[in-house]
Amino acid sequence: MSVKTIDAKLLSKMFLTGAKNLESKKEYINELNVFPVPDGDTGTNMTLTIMSAAKDVNSLDELSMENLCKAISSGSLRGARGNSGVILSQLLRGFTKVVKEYEEIDVAVISAGFDKAVETAYKAVMKPKEGTILTVAKGAAEKANELFENGEEDLDVFFRGVLDYANEVLLKTPEMLPVLKEAGVVDSGGQGLIEVLQGAYDAFCGKEIEFTMDQATSQKAGETRKLNMEVQADMEIKFGYCTEFIIMLNKTFNVKHEMDFKDYLESIGDSIVVVADDEIVKVHVHTNDPGLAIQRALKYGSLSNMKIDNMRLEHQEKLIKMSEQAGETTKEEPAMEKKEVGFISVSVGDGIGEIFKNLGVDYLIEGGQTMNPSTEDMLTAIEKTNADTIYILPNNKNIIMAANQARDLTEDKNVIVIPTKTVPQGISALIGYMPGTSAEDNEAAMLEEIQNVKTGQVTYAVRDTVIEGVEIHQDDYMGIGDSGILANGKDLEAVTIGMIEKMVDDASELISVYYGSDVKEEDVTKLQDKIVAAFPDCDVEFQNGGQPIYYYIVSVE
Amino acid sequence: MSGIAILTDSNSGITQAEAEKVGVYVLPMPFYINEEEYLEDISLSQEEFYQKLKDGADIHTSQPSPQNVLDKWDELLKEYEQIVYIPMSSGLSSSFETAKMLSEDYDGKVEVVNNQRISVTMRHAIEDAKNLIAQGKDAKTIREMLEEDKLNSTIYITLDTLYYLKKGGRITPAAAALGTLLKIKPVLQIQGEKLDAFAKARTIAAAKSTMITALKNDIEGRISEGGKYKYVISIAHTQNEEAALVFKDELQELFPDAGEIIINPLSLSVSCHIGPGALAVAASRIRGE
Repeated sequence: MSVKTIDAKLLSKMFLTGAKNLESKKEYINELNVFPVPDGDTGTNMTLTIMSAAKDVNSLDELSMENLCKAISSGSLRGARGNSGVILSQLLRGFTKVVKEYEEIDVAVISAGFDKAVETAYKAVMKPKEGTILTVAKGAAEKANELFENGEEDLDVFFRGVLDYANEVLLKTPEMLPVLKEAGVVDSGGQGLIEVLQGAYDAFCGKEIEFTMDQATSQKAGETRKLNMEVQADMEIKFGYCTEFIIMLNKTFNVKHEMDFKDYLESIGDSIVVVADDEIVKVHVHTNDPGLAIQRALKYGSLSNMKIDNMRLEHQEKLIKMSEQAGETTKEEPAMEKKEVGFISVSVGDGIGEIFKNLGVDYLIEGGQTMNPSTEDMLTAIEKTNADTIYILPNNKNIIMAANQARDLTEDKNVIVIPTKTVPQGISALIGYMPGTSAEDNEAAMLEEIQNVKTGQVTYAVRDTVIEGVEIHQDDYMGIGDSGILANGKDLEAVTIGMIEKMVDDASELISVYYGSDVKEEDVTKLQDKIVAAFPDCDVEFQNGGQPIYYYIVSVE
Repeated sequence: MSGIAILTDSNSGITQAEAEKVGVYVLPMPFYINEEEYLEDISLSQEEFYQKLKDGADIHTSQPSPQNVLDKWDELLKEYEQIVYIPMSSGLSSSFETAKMLSEDYDGKVEVVNNQRISVTMRHAIEDAKNLIAQGKDAKTIREMLEEDKLNSTIYITLDTLYYLKKGGRITPAAAALGTLLKIKPVLQIQGEKLDAFAKARTIAAAKSTMITALKNDIEGRISEGGKYKYVISIAHTQNEEAALVFKDELQELFPDAGEIIINPLSLSVSCHIGPGALAVAASRIRGE
């Protein structure tokens, strides 16, 4: 019998499983990043984005299509991190905009939703690039509409068709973006989208882990199939679901039974506690497949007091909360006085933070290379910055879109995002700000300032790869400029100076070096002497940036 | 002799020798260096001044003493019927207020101009006054016309260092806030009133481009009103002549209508607040041609 419609309950399940599947492939997707830098990665960003929506979906009191769509849309918008996260949130926003009008959705509605999703996401990107998540989404939408126009009604056939085609498009992304081909990978954002769609389809087929109690108890034997969990998801949490229940025994449960049961639980999870008395057995297990534990337990009796928690979600929530708390204690000025103009800057490292504050930044968002702040982090910063006009300096190319999204979601303040891609660009933009001048003039002046500074950043490679014809080995040092790798090798000092040589020209006046937390004081002094000697026509300034991961951030202007 | 003498002070950058040549009179500004009095361009040369500034001497500026002012007026009035006295900007010194008060006893023979000029823009005003005398205007009309042009001028100054600005204390809070961890070249402005912060830059190239953009806006706007009025551009500096000469060539090319751009050392009463190595550009509307 073919299924032709999906209700809110099933869609919710599909969404959550899609989110979960994305999460389980997070590390794999991170590996697809072209630049082998220890960076805010696509998999992590997309997962955090979708998990923010999953959290909202999970806490819905009443499940209706409208509520569900609202939760998915606003949860992902606020949680959006990184460019791929922002695009994913826009895809979800577009899709739910169509779907929320219906109680049940069929091929026609879903196709229209896909179309809207693609349209919305393309609009969110200033210069849409093909060979990315956008292309994969567009492929999926095109296939969906083709199937709809051919009169396909069976959702199973429809989903399989769309998924297969989206996969085909994904495999073609290296042909569209040469950098992907060179690095020998498919587009990471596109891969992430496929994982969401795959998870949703799995849930549609009943191939998922059940989330909520009523579904778990109504589960019929045989319907639960083993979830495809070859990819070990989260390094910190091996087994994702904390599963607890009580078995009301309807037959004897002797020591042998207990051993068998424990052995079985060992095979699917850890942290096992089984406490038996005459009538009941209390069970606690961490597993990726609570359904299996439940299936086995049903052999011994009926179940009660069931509780299944997604620990990865909790873990994330905890992390988010911790970072929020940390933010509140370290960054918030007590009751900021109302100002005309305020500045928000994303920064990492004590020294760089101090420099930003010194240049007049009102609110620092901790983040950057390793952690891209979400749209919600931006919204919090905007809320806490008591000013009519607020300039945001993202200082990372992967944070600009989240900042733009926060700007679009803000109604009571004039938010201007200066698309600074590096810390030195942020510093230059601030220096270019002229008090007493109109916001338009200042925006123009700051945009011009960021053109006048060249940035180079020295970090290490997390894996072997080839970029722009340059072979790079894991743990090599790399000097990355505004448009590619400028130097690489085994010697930090040589790489740094080599990078600066490529940045300096006849018009250069000033070399600023912000040294990170992972370099030694004596190495810094040595490097300073060498740079001063190597570039006699430039002023050289060294500042303690205190940033992690990037040994040196250098600007030439 | 014609009826009107032009008197200014040494903030105009007009030296005693030059004054004699062009037929104006210049009161020297007094300086107290380590509590000893010096008179600009009379007992204190630019070189001596900067040497003492660099040596960390305690330098105070002052206004010309009332006695000096009165003596000069009385001397000039033996030869001329009227005096147009153009002291340094009332926003930067109380020279004007003192002179204004003193002039009340002179029955309109001394007109004290409050046109808030300093350095090269003050020099521009003196050129204007000469033109107006040649047109046969009386002292009162000349004063009024010069005062009308008060805001039709602009000065931008890029400092090499914040050190003297902080030390001197004669800066507005906005300028004082410029101090940062990074080496920054502040760009200051004088728009009639005080020496104030305008922008910041990290390099000379960036500072010059900021000054040029601002200058262009001022000229096209209030100074020439879209080409309706002629204007003049000058460069001033503190011990930074080489850079000034390069800047002159650049400006001459960018502003072909500006005529010959002159270069002047910045007057010492401004210099002692900003220190050596500064580069400034100024423009004023030309009056009376």
